[in-house]
Amino acid sequence: MNWSSCSQTDPGNQRRHNEDAILALQDSGLWAVADGMGGHRNGALASRLIIDTLGALELTGNIDQNQRRVRQALQQVNRRLTQDMTQVQGQPAGPVGSTVVILLATANRALCLWAGDSRCYLWRQQTLHQLTRDHSLLQQLIDRGAVTGTAAASHPGAHVLTRAVGAHDHLKLDSVAFMTQPGDTLLLCSDGLHRELSPAQLSSVLEHQDSSSGAAQLVSLALRGPARDNLSAVVVKISAGAS
Amino acid sequence: MPSRTPPVAPAAIPELLGNRYRIERLLGVGGMGAVYQVRDLLREQFNDPQPTVALKALNDQFAAHADANALLYAEYALTCRLHHPNVIRPYSYHIDPASGRAFMTLELLEGPALDQIIADHPDGMAWPALQPLAVGLLSALAHAHDAGVLHGDLKPGNIILSTAGLRLFDFGLGRGCRGPLQRLPRLSRRLAAWTPRYAALELLDGEELTAAADLYAVACVLYELASGHHPFSRLTARQAMRMQQETGLQKPHGIPKPVWRELRTALAFDPAARITSVAALLEAFRKGSKTGWPPAVRRRWQPAAGPPAASDQSDRSRLDAAMKAFFRSS
Repeated sequence: MNWSSCSQTDPGNQRRHNEDAILALQDSGLWAVADGMGGHRNGALASRLIIDTLGALELTGNIDQNQRRVRQALQQVNRRLTQDMTQVQGQPAGPVGSTVVILLATANRALCLWAGDSRCYLWRQQTLHQLTRDHSLLQQLIDRGAVTGTAAASHPGAHVLTRAVGAHDHLKLDSVAFMTQPGDTLLLCSDGLHRELSPAQLSSVLEHQDSSSGAAQLVSLALRGPARDNLSAVVVKISAGAS
Repeated sequence: MPSRTPPVAPAAIPELLGNRYRIERLLGVGGMGAVYQVRDLLREQFNDPQPTVALKALNDQFAAHADANALLYAEYALTCRLHHPNVIRPYSYHIDPASGRAFMTLELLEGPALDQIIADHPDGMAWPALQPLAVGLLSALAHAHDAGVLHGDLKPGNIILSTAGLRLFDFGLGRGCRGPLQRLPRLSRRLAAWTPRYAALELLDGEELTAAADLYAVACVLYELASGHHPFSRLTARQAMRMQQETGLQKPHGIPKPVWRELRTALAFDPAARITSVAALLEAFRKGSKTGWPPAVRRRWQPAAGPPAASDQSDRSRLDAAMKAFFRSS
């Protein structure tokens, strides 16, 4: 298989700073989106630390070995953002962390790892599949059947994350592995983007995009709305051919 | 940090600082500062084969204070006083004219931090690998204390086993405890800072940083290296003391008994009961135990040729061997 990818990130219409960070390493088969959280722009440091740490990994093994290296690296980042973080008395002790969604790909296999509400979608044969499941209170409420998706969205704590890098002493990453097919298109995005665009809008762009402009088109479309949050998209298109 | 001037939002850290250092990668984030890998364009211009260096700048909430630049300068000044192969080398201190942000440049350390090494050795390191690391770390700290510099934030993440050897770094919470160094700006008691699991009880109680507090922290790190886990798990010294965890401390497998006696004393919650010193702990780790090492192990760590080396040289050889062993296995 061959991959081609494009990526775009934007502060959005209402925020001055961008606390999202993105990674697109086509040659290594590694793509990621991280959405930082924390006051004083510390969220930007957390998301950048994740992305820069991932970007420095030497992923030369098979997908399972690469997955282990990625997990080890994220555990180390998590440890430093939690139990081994220097605490300053009198300074706000709010969480400093970040969501992360990662795509690892080899010839015909791919693996998605995530924590938080950044998502991975697969566009395959005219159908959009959401591969990740948000680690958020909203998702928990829906899973328990306590509320409908619409009602849950208006819950005051709906967007509170239940997992993120830097949120707990031990990081739990979810994962999904799948076989890739020529024609597949994968989208990694932060919640700023997937809250702004409906599945139909995502599908419309992923169906018609070429390999170099999908991410920019998605961000551009989201910016037509309120875009209260930072927006990030990484689009990976898989085609037949030697990788 | 004391400040009479209301904080103002600082400019974001630019990607090019001082028209010379271009940020390539964020290496680490601490409670007060962030460390980047940067490309030194001047070095590059002169074809220096190693144009990348480390750069530390304060995080935004600290950079906003009027005396932030002085605080970072104090860290630079303290580090400059230290000349030891196991202490990071500082290069320079600057203020970026465009953003007004202070930063310091330092030796770039490439290699795993001790937290990674601990994670890679869940049952603890064997004595032959542990001993040279411990000697390197303790001799660095002993040197700092001899120079009148206290570290204040010893933890595995602030020690790197670089390709050039073990390096202790981040004196951002340090202070000079003797002579003119005491006049350097520092965090006030009101804004004390620490890493909870490595802070001695007296620091948590609001007392001043002392050499004994550094001793407690380094003892936690050494115990963790030897056993694979922190002596008091995720508890702070205060929580562990209340739960009387001290009485249940087990000697990590492989540590010679004389070394354990010193290490255990250094882990005392009550500073008055911490009746040892970094120098004494260093000596204990250097000596090990005549009965604690199997003869084959003792022979393995002898210098390859020539007369028995001076202790520092011997330590260096052991450290080199340990590093090679670590990098082969990782």
